[in-house]
Amino acid sequence: MLQIEQNNLLIQKTLSERVFDSADGFKSLDRIITDFDFTTYHISTLPDHKQLVLVSIYLKCWDDLNKYGVVEYLNGKYAEYAGPLAVLQGSDLEAGYNYSLVLDLAELAGKDDEFKQKVIDELSFLKRHAMAAPFEKAFARYDELAKTYANANTYSEEIQAELQNEKVLVIKYRGSDESIYIKPSFDRVTVIFSTVFQDETDKIFGRVFLQEFVDARKRSVQTAPQVLYSHKDAPLDIQNVVEGSKDDENKGYITFVLFPRHLVKGDRRDNCISHIQFFRNYFHYHIKCSKAYMHSRMRFRVKEFLKILNRAKPENVDDDGKAIENRKTASGRRFDIASR
Amino acid sequence: MSSMGTPAVVMDNGTGLTKLGFAGNDSPSFVFPTAIATSSASSKGGRNARNAGNVASKRGLEDLDFFIGDEALEAANGPNYGLSYPIKHGQIEDWDHMERFWESSIFKYLRCEPEDHYFLLTEPPLNPPENRESTAEIMFESFNCAGLYIAVQAVLALAASWTSPKVQDRSLSGTVIDSGDGVTHVIPVAEGYVIGTAIKNIPLAGRDITLFIQQLLRDRGEVDTSLQTAEKIKQQFCYVCPDVVQEFNKFDQYPQEKFAQYIVEYTERKATVDVGYERFLAPEIFFNPEICSSDYLTPLPTVVDQVIQSSPIDVRKKLYKNIVLSGGSTMFKDFGKRLQRDLKGIVNERVHRSEQLSGVQSSGVDVQVISHKKQRYAVWFGGSLLAQTAEFKSYCYTKSEYDEYGPGIVRNFSLFSVP
Repeated sequence: MLQIEQNNLLIQKTLSERVFDSADGFKSLDRIITDFDFTTYHISTLPDHKQLVLVSIYLKCWDDLNKYGVVEYLNGKYAEYAGPLAVLQGSDLEAGYNYSLVLDLAELAGKDDEFKQKVIDELSFLKRHAMAAPFEKAFARYDELAKTYANANTYSEEIQAELQNEKVLVIKYRGSDESIYIKPSFDRVTVIFSTVFQDETDKIFGRVFLQEFVDARKRSVQTAPQVLYSHKDAPLDIQNVVEGSKDDENKGYITFVLFPRHLVKGDRRDNCISHIQFFRNYFHYHIKCSKAYMHSRMRFRVKEFLKILNRAKPENVDDDGKAIENRKTASGRRFDIASR
Repeated sequence: MSSMGTPAVVMDNGTGLTKLGFAGNDSPSFVFPTAIATSSASSKGGRNARNAGNVASKRGLEDLDFFIGDEALEAANGPNYGLSYPIKHGQIEDWDHMERFWESSIFKYLRCEPEDHYFLLTEPPLNPPENRESTAEIMFESFNCAGLYIAVQAVLALAASWTSPKVQDRSLSGTVIDSGDGVTHVIPVAEGYVIGTAIKNIPLAGRDITLFIQQLLRDRGEVDTSLQTAEKIKQQFCYVCPDVVQEFNKFDQYPQEKFAQYIVEYTERKATVDVGYERFLAPEIFFNPEICSSDYLTPLPTVVDQVIQSSPIDVRKKLYKNIVLSGGSTMFKDFGKRLQRDLKGIVNERVHRSEQLSGVQSSGVDVQVISHKKQRYAVWFGGSLLAQTAEFKSYCYTKSEYDEYGPGIVRNFSLFSVP
């Protein structure tokens, strides 16, 4: 399990159960499901229409995403399934949530299995799609810039200055201390994560881990995006947009530089978005995995040391220093600790 | 705190099944076997590394090559994975595997960042405090979880019974009958504390019922006598009858209504299995164990009575009044009714005898068995119920408290006060 899946397994499971084994009638359903980064889903059936399933999502950074056209993006994504799947607008939104969809099971029942599966899969990618909106926007901006400057002398001072002033997209996906910054340029897109380590040990693990990222690129995977890590000080690109505590010892910045090769339209671009937005979870997951691994090594070591210590235990000796043979019970068993 | 808005995670790791989910939901999100399949190649590599004794020789990702739950069972069919069950008799035996099991359940299945969530874990009664400490070490040091509460399963099962309309006062006193797949426990709980000395185990549970049905099917020479068929028959057809002799008569008088047929579907053909007396005989082994086992002969109602009799005298009335069922093997129709009737018989007889001997009128003892809809995953449901209350987080120990005091802090948890 090197990777964590992009989609939400639980949404997929809940909806599949609903759609495919609805033999026992439409029971009411009311479930809260969470995802990384304070994302909450609420899947429920409408009280008077049990065939309608309401899927709502709450994201902490919705206001930021909204700036970058998330609603249009999601509407576009789910428009394909119009009919069984309807997007709720404005006041119809479920209170406390940011985006709601209604899935009509009665209407879906008429479709073939492939279509059903696709709808379920797309819904389980809800968070991924929501987070993808700003990336799409930044990448579109990159396309624009690349066209504009295709034949220009990009080393000239004016153009450089202009690029310097390119707007940075900020997504405060876990509050103001942990954000994603995206800065498009004509030949690359820079994605910077700021992350806070709650724990001293995590910080060290994180540093080693990121060093490995940097080294791996040198060693074998040359096509990977360039990774830079800076501790405490924000990279120059984003220095004027950083919010929150600037002088935090536990804060680190990880910069990815995506080159045109990663931004080829189509599957590769989608893949790139999926992976990069998931970076923080991946990173923290692996810090935890490494700790688990270390712990298993430690347990093993302790067991080995205990064995050595046990070997050093003196035998049973009587007053004269002679070893006493272990006494036996009538059935021939011994009072022996070691054989337990 | 950053974790205020997120629902607490409720994890009930049992010997057979693990129940995972979020507080506030009415059923666990995931129920799968507590099994982990690890790559057998890696364990071999591990052994080599042990011989060499240095860490640097191992740079692979073998420690991430594992599956849990249903995927583990599937993977174990192949040649490259070995299956193991990290929990034995309710207690965690293999911490390495358990740590990885949790890792996968949290990140892959529940998809949550443990730093943002509070956790409610369960433990069996009489779990040694060292195990609690080890659990806390893993939860706080590996996963940095925001807060942790470890609850005793029996107490959660009591809390789950509050959904039943029969329960008037929400107290944490009562007798819990927890019957899963392997063992049946009878656990008395007084004011949220388990009375450890009075706990009794019965070596009859779900698996024995299934085997008993299978035996009956074989004796009759049915076409399909596999364990799965027996399991399905148990789940679909079995019920508890008030009286065995009368039930036999009923079967003979109205064969059409009583006898049933179970259709086994294979990929290419179908087979029909007749279902007969096992419909009521199978659950009967709780009440008349001699029909199935030759070495365990005490009926369940007698055991419950013994358990309550060996508890302190001032809580016995409460224990009789609130007998709560939990676990899949208590799901048979009318199981509660029969238990209540039999137990009442035993108690009334004793009351009557003491009245005769002392000549004093007794006020009587109220016996009540409570069955409710959430019985199957009662422990998990009780956890979900308690973890969604606003006070839950104040009962938990947080990461900073753990850092301050060390693992010893989890030896004591404050009990849930009854709302």
